[in-house]
Amino acid sequence: MLAAGDTLALWVSVKLALITTVILLVLCTPLAWWLARRFRPGQALLESLLALPLVLPPTVLGFYLLLFLGPDGPGGWLGPLLERPGLAFSFAGLVIGSVVYSLPFVLQPLKNAFAAIDKDVLDMAAAAGAGPLDRFFSVVLPLARPGYLSAAVLGFAHTLGEFGVVLMIGGSIAGETRVASVALYEHVEAGDYASAQRLALVLVVMSLVLLWAVFRWQKKARGPL
Amino acid sequence: MSLSLDIALRRGAFALSVQGTLPERGVTILFGESGAGKSSLLRAVAGLEPCQGRIEFDGERWQGRAGMLPAHRRPVGLMLQKPTLFPHLDVTGNLRYAARRATMSGQRLPAQRWEEVLELLSLAPLLPRRVQGLSGGEASRVALGRALLSAPRLLLLDEPLAALDQARRQALMEVIGRVAKTIPVLYVSHHLDEVLTLGEHLWWLRDGALAAQGEVNDVLAGPGSPLAEHRDAAVVLRTRHLRYEQDHHLLVLALGACEVRVPASGPGGDTPRLRVAARDVSLTLSPASDSSVLNILPAVVDDVRSLPQGQCLVRLRCEQQWLLARLSSYSRDRLRLAPGSRVHAQIKAAALV
Repeated sequence: MLAAGDTLALWVSVKLALITTVILLVLCTPLAWWLARRFRPGQALLESLLALPLVLPPTVLGFYLLLFLGPDGPGGWLGPLLERPGLAFSFAGLVIGSVVYSLPFVLQPLKNAFAAIDKDVLDMAAAAGAGPLDRFFSVVLPLARPGYLSAAVLGFAHTLGEFGVVLMIGGSIAGETRVASVALYEHVEAGDYASAQRLALVLVVMSLVLLWAVFRWQKKARGPL
Repeated sequence: MSLSLDIALRRGAFALSVQGTLPERGVTILFGESGAGKSSLLRAVAGLEPCQGRIEFDGERWQGRAGMLPAHRRPVGLMLQKPTLFPHLDVTGNLRYAARRATMSGQRLPAQRWEEVLELLSLAPLLPRRVQGLSGGEASRVALGRALLSAPRLLLLDEPLAALDQARRQALMEVIGRVAKTIPVLYVSHHLDEVLTLGEHLWWLRDGALAAQGEVNDVLAGPGSPLAEHRDAAVVLRTRHLRYEQDHHLLVLALGACEVRVPASGPGGDTPRLRVAARDVSLTLSPASDSSVLNILPAVVDDVRSLPQGQCLVRLRCEQQWLLARLSSYSRDRLRLAPGSRVHAQIKAAALV
């Protein structure tokens, strides 16, 4: 059904999206908490910087990442850790790029979810004898669950659909950096519209199923209220 | 002396500076206008509001030069005006949250404590309910139950009954009064009613400082009492139970050497407290034997204070306790009341609290 290599490209896409989402959820939790709870000097600048991927053309981001991750770039030292000259044109580089690129999509829902938590509820938890970590797991996490779900879905879907950044720093190495969106682009370039049709349809259905599942789950979790 | 503090905190233009000690047990009302800093003070004691200075409880240092003991390590039970239950847990979950984290002097909370608290607040029927479906009174009961299940050695209540109707207030006040027999309770209120019903001790907070602290009557009737101009100015007299006169439905109480009669439906407790409002007390120079007023007590004028609109407040010493009388300044002049005058106080109404 799918053209040869497209299944592999889809797998790379899904793997990339999964890994990126997990990393972002872990990374953004303390960051979003810090940003949501109080206003600190320099916070506006930091938040603008973190939101930059929202407005920047992906190619701009990809270009800087390419320079950063290349053997001579400031991030070049990362390469030898994985026994390569640099992380450009590698799966690991793609993950780093995706983390930067999708960060605002994970950060924002988490931040909103944390900000919506009543501070008094946390104070009551403290008075009841719960320490900071205990409070996080017993109160913050359950209350921010819808936020985590939105963050995960947005992060996953956005990474799945990324194209510009991948093209700049990943190229198209089958099984390594050749993701579904790039594969689709290559089919179109080669004039193979039939393969492009099928791959595009798979991506549409995948995204739709994902979003549908989330909306259904969120309705259920919210209950009859 | 359970809690002793000497703290200062500043939030913008607002500054709080309080030195005080709390008795071993009993309810201490933290009274004051809104904005006086009552809640900030309570939060500082709970460890939720950073402040400077020293807080000690039962010889443990909660705050000092070495830093502050975090809120979750302080053995306090906290209840706020809005019940603030954990929205993601049901009633059982809310109560268990506190019970599971509670330790009594290092020991796990005994199971019977759970039963006691459930019984005390009639919580059993509420256990499976979602917190979103609770009425105001039910939510307050759960919140108080949660506070008690954290095995507190100090109970901090921030206007816990403000949102409740009179009947539910009464019921919860009784529970709080009972709890206060074993641990100290610091109770934020700006209701005189609660002060007079619950309070044995009073901390009077004004503009971020304690204007007065001590036994309720001494503060209420004391010189410069900020309550004097309040239309509900009152004192609470400590009495002893003598007998109940079934025929007249009268409770006879001893106030020092005097007898006081109050209408009551039953014998009541051993040491009833009588609330007497200043406007319910009038003065005569000779004892009127032909009056319908039940209680006429000899008293000595201690202080006469002019109030606006032709009124004055007379502070009397009666059987070693304070009594307040609110008169017109015309009467004061006619009777020539001055410190030292011997008078007879007619108490037109008194309520058991």
